[in-house]
Amino acid sequence: MSIVKEFTKGLWKEIPPFRLVLGLCPTLAVTKTASDGMGMGAAVIFVLVLSNVIISLVRKIIPKKVRIACFIVIAASLVVSVELLMQAYAYPLYQSLGIFVPLIVVNCIILGRAEAFAAKNPVLLSAADGLGMGLGFTLSLTFLGALREIFGYGKLFGAEVFGPAFKPFTFMIEAPGAFVCLGLILAAMNYLAIWQSKRAGLPEPDVAVSCGGCRACAIGESKQIIQEG
Amino acid sequence: MILQSLLVMLGLGLACSAVLAVASKLLAVEEDPRVEAVLEALPGANCGGCGFAGCESYAAAAVNDPNVPADRCCAGGADTAAKVAALTGKAAGSAEPMVAFRRCAKTEGNVKKLYDYQGVPSCAAAKQLGSPDACAYSCIGLGDCMRACPFDAMYMAHGMVHVNRDKCTACGNCVRTCPNGIMEIVPQAARVMVLCSSQDKGKAVTDVCDAGCISCMKCVKECPAKCVKLEGGVIRIDHAACIAYGPECQEVCAEKCPRSILRRLGATAQAAPQEKQEEAA
Amino acid sequence: MDYFLMLISAIFVNNILLAQYLGNCPFLGCSKEKGVAFGMGAAVIFVAVMATAFTWIMQKWVLEPYGLGYLQTLVFILVIAALVQFVEMFLKKMVPPLYKALGIFLPLITTNCAVLGIAILVQRKEFGLGMSLYYSFVASLGFTLALMLMAGIRERLIIARLPKSLQGTSIGLVMAGLMSLTFFAFKGMIG
Repeated sequence: MSIVKEFTKGLWKEIPPFRLVLGLCPTLAVTKTASDGMGMGAAVIFVLVLSNVIISLVRKIIPKKVRIACFIVIAASLVVSVELLMQAYAYPLYQSLGIFVPLIVVNCIILGRAEAFAAKNPVLLSAADGLGMGLGFTLSLTFLGALREIFGYGKLFGAEVFGPAFKPFTFMIEAPGAFVCLGLILAAMNYLAIWQSKRAGLPEPDVAVSCGGCRACAIGESKQIIQEG
Repeated sequence: MILQSLLVMLGLGLACSAVLAVASKLLAVEEDPRVEAVLEALPGANCGGCGFAGCESYAAAAVNDPNVPADRCCAGGADTAAKVAALTGKAAGSAEPMVAFRRCAKTEGNVKKLYDYQGVPSCAAAKQLGSPDACAYSCIGLGDCMRACPFDAMYMAHGMVHVNRDKCTACGNCVRTCPNGIMEIVPQAARVMVLCSSQDKGKAVTDVCDAGCISCMKCVKECPAKCVKLEGGVIRIDHAACIAYGPECQEVCAEKCPRSILRRLGATAQAAPQEKQEEAA
Repeated sequence: MDYFLMLISAIFVNNILLAQYLGNCPFLGCSKEKGVAFGMGAAVIFVAVMATAFTWIMQKWVLEPYGLGYLQTLVFILVIAALVQFVEMFLKKMVPPLYKALGIFLPLITTNCAVLGIAILVQRKEFGLGMSLYYSFVASLGFTLALMLMAGIRERLIIARLPKSLQGTSIGLVMAGLMSLTFFAFKGMIG
């Protein structure tokens, strides 16, 4: 049953990047259209699940001091494979994602889940965690992409949504729109979390702060330590 | 193809690790191993609660400076204090427990207002325009110190800030933050305290405040242990000497103060009949 | 003239952060105080230029001659990680004041899309070594500028009365969006 729990937590409770603030760069960059968002999400699922599985398999052999370097190498190899697969089977997607395909390797989600979960848990759980997080990421990206595409182009997955009288809200497609949209969605998620905890009578949760604490750097490490008390 | 990529990656990996291994030997920095050990014992949160810039500063100070107590780390608690004490050869909890104290007895109505401040809700901002109270040394009451406290030990009530003695760790953030400098770190066992930071004398004080110290020097004369002094325009008490002298004097300074500025604190406060309010700290 | 145009373009028109979305994590994490922001920006400039140099050399002397272009990502990230590790050790020993100022940011920069992004960008733009170094320098300058501006804004935001759900990252992102919008005005400067 705990496999199901690990899987579902990535779908809502700790959905990246809306609740667990990791991986903002691709979120902002590739969500011009919903299909781009979905494509990036698919690539991330591939890399995340496989990297979680591999790291979980070798977690007992890797010495502590070089673990970050090892995680990076494993993730990078998987990203190279994904790049090549995309170039072969989904070239238009590869072109529209541009520089962000190789940048999946430094996506904080990959390193963050590796460090926080896969390095300490058995293979099946890590795979479930990776799949859950990856699916959550894909859902978020598709949602944001859909939002930006609907208002920015008037289309959804390439199909016209509004009639010909629609004047596209170009702000949404450009960089400012991405930042503002994501900021407002995060605010909405915070509001939802606060409302839910008020209803349940629990203390107010912390608002989403930048950096989900993946511990790859000093900021993340100190966050983890403060949380663990 | 596969062989080529494998060879290149292997070669790169070996080259990088060789360079790093050599560098870690050649570029090794001599450090007192105790500093490293203390740093390991600290939680590494870099919260600043100890009063130092970060865990590394505190570790260095704890090892090298004999005056720095071993129990300043509050994020780590008693366990960390014990570990640090063991590593530095100091006794944990050897320092006198201290708390922050607000040297101002302002309540609603006893200090005249110079103007009604409607601006950025920050004491530092209000001070830029000149304090909104007629007394330039009062507690402005906009809560900069409260927000600076990393331990949530301060709260606002009746227009001024109060310190929760149980949570206060005497880290000193509030002292540094207050633009009027009215916060002071005193021992928890302090018996008397001056509730005024005004550097004015006599009529200048009574004109603007009902609860201000007029520097009449009665307390200075009365104290048998000579631990009450006028320094920098304000009355200061040498708490170590006061506590060492003992309760024999029955806080005669507080008895004789004509305006009840000098007040008894803590356990002795219950005995004194003139205490109407809970003392402000 | 080319160099000046590139300076304007990299800092204002195509700001690496506000227009190309690279480097958001340190942007939101280190922009709460001006001092920290400047330290982070300086560290990024320092690492980005060196990383570009080394990765460019790796690409031109090792990857391309042997037809191993597909290993670019893997090789680049390894080189950057090793480089940052080495620089940290070097600074700690040789230039302790600089280590005290920049040291804590260095591990953050290793896994940061700004540096890897710049290294890959100069390859895609097919710059020579000199131009690559110059581009990485000015692009990081643009990053530092954005970071300093954000720090200035966020220092004011601390005492603003915001609704609880907007505090923290949300308002930071909205502010970044508005900053990005103002930088749009520079698009008309060139051409």
